[in-house]
Amino acid sequence: MGCTKTISKEGFMILWKILCRITLVLIALLFLASHVSFAAPPPIVIGVPSSFKSIEASEGLKAITLAVEEINAKGGVKVGNEKRMLKVESIETRDMEPGVPLADALLANEKLILEKKPHVIIQGPTRSEVLLAAMDLYAQYKIPSINNAVASKFVDQYKSNPEKYRHCFRMFDGKYVVAGLGKVMEKMNKEYGFKKAYIVVQDAIWAVGIANGMNAWYKANGWEVVGFDKYPTGASDFSSSLIKAKNAGVQVVFPIFDMPQSGILVQQWKDMKVPAIFAGFISPLMGSNAWKTFGEKIEGVINIVFDGGNLPLEKYPPAKKFYDAFTKRWGEMQVGHKPAVDYDGVYAMVRAIERAGSLDPDKIAKELEKTNMVGATGRIHFADHQYVFGDDPKVDAISAVYQWKKGGKRVPIYPDSVAEGVIEKPASMK
Amino acid sequence: MSIERRKERIDRPIKAVTDDIFCLSSIREIAYLVIPRMLPVLGLLLLAFFVPQYWRKVMVITFVMGMMALSWDFMASCGLTSLGQALFFALGAYSAGAMNHYFGLPIYLSIPLGTIIGAIISTACIYPTLGLRGIYFSVVTLIIPLMLMRIVETTGIFGGTEGITGLSPFPGIIVTMAVSMIALWLTFFGLRRLIDSDYGHIFVALKDNDRAVEASGLSIRWFKVQAIFIGSGVCCFSGAFMTHYYMSIGMSAFAIDLSIFPIAASVVGGMGTLAGPLLGAIILGPLSEALRAFGSYRVVIYAALLGTFIVTLPEGLFPYLARKYQQIERWVEAPGGISED
Amino acid sequence: MFLSVLVYGFINSVILVMVALGFSITFGISRVANFSHGGFYVLGGIFTWYGLIKMDLPYFLSAILSILIIGALGALMYRVVLVRLKGLELSEVIATLSLGIVILELLRGLGVFGYEFRNPVFIDGSVDILGVGVGIQRIIIVCAGALLLILLHFFVHHTKMGLAFRGVAQQEHTALSVGINPNLVSMLSLAMGSIMCALSAVLILPLGVISVDEGYDILIKALAVCIIGGLESTIGVLVAAFIIGYIEALTSMYISSSLTSVVPLACMLVILLIRPSGIFGKSKEIEERV
Repeated sequence: MGCTKTISKEGFMILWKILCRITLVLIALLFLASHVSFAAPPPIVIGVPSSFKSIEASEGLKAITLAVEEINAKGGVKVGNEKRMLKVESIETRDMEPGVPLADALLANEKLILEKKPHVIIQGPTRSEVLLAAMDLYAQYKIPSINNAVASKFVDQYKSNPEKYRHCFRMFDGKYVVAGLGKVMEKMNKEYGFKKAYIVVQDAIWAVGIANGMNAWYKANGWEVVGFDKYPTGASDFSSSLIKAKNAGVQVVFPIFDMPQSGILVQQWKDMKVPAIFAGFISPLMGSNAWKTFGEKIEGVINIVFDGGNLPLEKYPPAKKFYDAFTKRWGEMQVGHKPAVDYDGVYAMVRAIERAGSLDPDKIAKELEKTNMVGATGRIHFADHQYVFGDDPKVDAISAVYQWKKGGKRVPIYPDSVAEGVIEKPASMK
Repeated sequence: MSIERRKERIDRPIKAVTDDIFCLSSIREIAYLVIPRMLPVLGLLLLAFFVPQYWRKVMVITFVMGMMALSWDFMASCGLTSLGQALFFALGAYSAGAMNHYFGLPIYLSIPLGTIIGAIISTACIYPTLGLRGIYFSVVTLIIPLMLMRIVETTGIFGGTEGITGLSPFPGIIVTMAVSMIALWLTFFGLRRLIDSDYGHIFVALKDNDRAVEASGLSIRWFKVQAIFIGSGVCCFSGAFMTHYYMSIGMSAFAIDLSIFPIAASVVGGMGTLAGPLLGAIILGPLSEALRAFGSYRVVIYAALLGTFIVTLPEGLFPYLARKYQQIERWVEAPGGISED
Repeated sequence: MFLSVLVYGFINSVILVMVALGFSITFGISRVANFSHGGFYVLGGIFTWYGLIKMDLPYFLSAILSILIIGALGALMYRVVLVRLKGLELSEVIATLSLGIVILELLRGLGVFGYEFRNPVFIDGSVDILGVGVGIQRIIIVCAGALLLILLHFFVHHTKMGLAFRGVAQQEHTALSVGINPNLVSMLSLAMGSIMCALSAVLILPLGVISVDEGYDILIKALAVCIIGGLESTIGVLVAAFIIGYIEALTSMYISSSLTSVVPLACMLVILLIRPSGIFGKSKEIEERV
């Protein structure tokens, strides 16, 4: 019995030695492989730390990739004397999932920064809470970023310490939704005399911010707001709001949702035969597939595309050009927010790098502030590190509001500079 | 007559020697006892110096999560299996965050205060449910964090969905690592001593036979309260620490992720022995980081590991390793055959 | 407006009954708390969706297949996993919970998110009940729920198998001595619970989208209903479901829609503190209280 033990022990030792040697060789190879440098200058790395379960974020990533491919096809970015290619490195931060702690999402951001060493960040975190915390992180590592989370708090945080956050920029602000939809409400008031509204909103910081803004607009313009209901993410029964709205004779229901369950809201609206027009932001109803999924139930719904470039606007060619390029590369776009502004963001960042002539973060930040270019979503320029949105794509960036019409057509109705039709009453109101 | 063999397991000679006063008889015996305890302490210390920057952060988080696993195991040894460690974590975290944000206390005050206040509130929360046994207690601990999360989300107190940001950070990664490591080892060795002491025996008796405790004239409720206070205190420290580590606190502190990790670590490492959950945490922490690339599948692998371990190796890794260290197994003859009855 | 609360509250309650019934059956008979209830629910919906949308099977066939598969899965889970953990409550909970998480997160990883993941309603359209427009699918759910309860009652009280179930629930050893195989019965009860779970999924999911987070929600709701009603009693499930259903509807209408999700949790907490065995549970005061 003792013999068996010694033999196996020896055999074990031999095996162990072989294993150690193999492991050492593998480690050496890995080490070498990661440090091999090619003749060409290293690419400029664009970091995209976002939550791609959110369909807007993943479409945005596709738009970023599209822009990068276009720029690389033309030879890359001119930094000083040399031309360098662009490379996209993304990481899934899972920040859109309800159970994921803020700390986890931030750690993912940090992992991207420390391992892939991006020079710039485009799109950034999906959830606004994460962006507000990540701003400190980007400031600490000095990475110029153009971010896409929508909460208005970004501007407050930026202004609280412009020096610290000088590399941080942002694309879209929720307050522009209020401005755009406010104009649409005005139109409906003038055309049809609508004056009663009901606000139904997803309980997320960006959505409630927009809804509060709209509430204030309604009050300031003489509308009556019959109700203001918040639904936690994942709620699937909106009957109480619809019942109250119907009983009060409400003419306009104002929804702000990006969760998939919001499609149920429309289903229940139809089931309960509520005679009111839907005007707001409902993500599942955004893209061309919505007509296939819902059919003519959604005729008459008014939806706002945060970045106008996501609609093929006939009257603004750069938007149509972007939409067609995206469709050709990836298939039809199904969201109303992120692709166009991300696409423009890449171009803005690249132009800034070229003007700065280097990859120095402070220089890039300074040049970004001076951005003034024609983009897919209008004219891109910053004020307080924020894209400026307005009415005319030749002057500012624009949102676009459209209405679903017979046959599954999305007809833009606002702003007037790109409108192709007028607002019609839905079937339930005729 | 065929010779049947059976597997015999007996203590190693050196273990038999060290069980008694003879453990001091030579360096070899002392080493046998000291090395398993010192190895992790020194090993992790050395590791902290050599790993890249990003993995240092992972180590800090692993230590903190290890403390949560320890607190879960401690409470389980007292008969209180909670499915909601996230509750204590969040209470500690919010207390520290509130101290720092609303009262402006500096970090070296807000963490201790956060721990104590968090522990007091946790005990107060759990107190009404101490009359329940077994599965009911677990279910209550599962639902209270979910409920509190919804309430915070709806009423918007303590920052609501966006939480409180901009809290004071730690002065440097060295301090962070030092604090977390010291806290971990203090907790680990401290709790082990506690459980082994006379005072700790009462807690273990609560699990084995609480009526015996009552019959001895000790109030079950009062000791359960103490057990909760100590256990949740450790967890609240983790929460307070993480709040300042990330300079922010939000609703996500109630996440089910945080409740599952201590359970997974304990199942993998071995419930009941405090060293087991720590081992489990040290394995699972970096593992879950390394799996980050898999995105959502990470949780799948986690949960699959958990399920597999509980079915195949329910005692956990640590008892298995301890057995290998302390005992030898060998085949011996069983003259007369193995009896079958 | 109160009428609409009446109607919608009723429908809500019936939905809760259906969701909780599978869980209650499994626990009542084989004493196994099947924490993967939520996982099976969503999986049932997804299998139906897959058959319907991806494989172009007729709705009916797809639904039946999916229900059978889930039933088999439940029985398999018992045979492979739970039979080894018999009696160890905590281990059972952890094992089933981790299976549930594996299913749900796997689906999430595979990309189940978005409005395309929905099963269409059986019949489109709505009727007016007491002045409130109600979708036909909801009416189907109520009818199916009532039918299911009647069938269940008949099965448990009047068939040989049902009596075997109750025998094993009451006294396992005695059941063994009269020739009932407890392992087989427990396996079948788990299969039955899973079948009911999948059936409710097929009926209820068309009202909305199939989403992974709903799985966790369903587990909580089933737990709430069973605990409040008492873990072994079917009447308890009924009463508890109606209590929770109506409180939810009233909260949503008169207080605030965002507090609705707190209702089942709060009710559970209250009951556990006052009367842990539930409203209709057999009072086991000594065993539960210290």
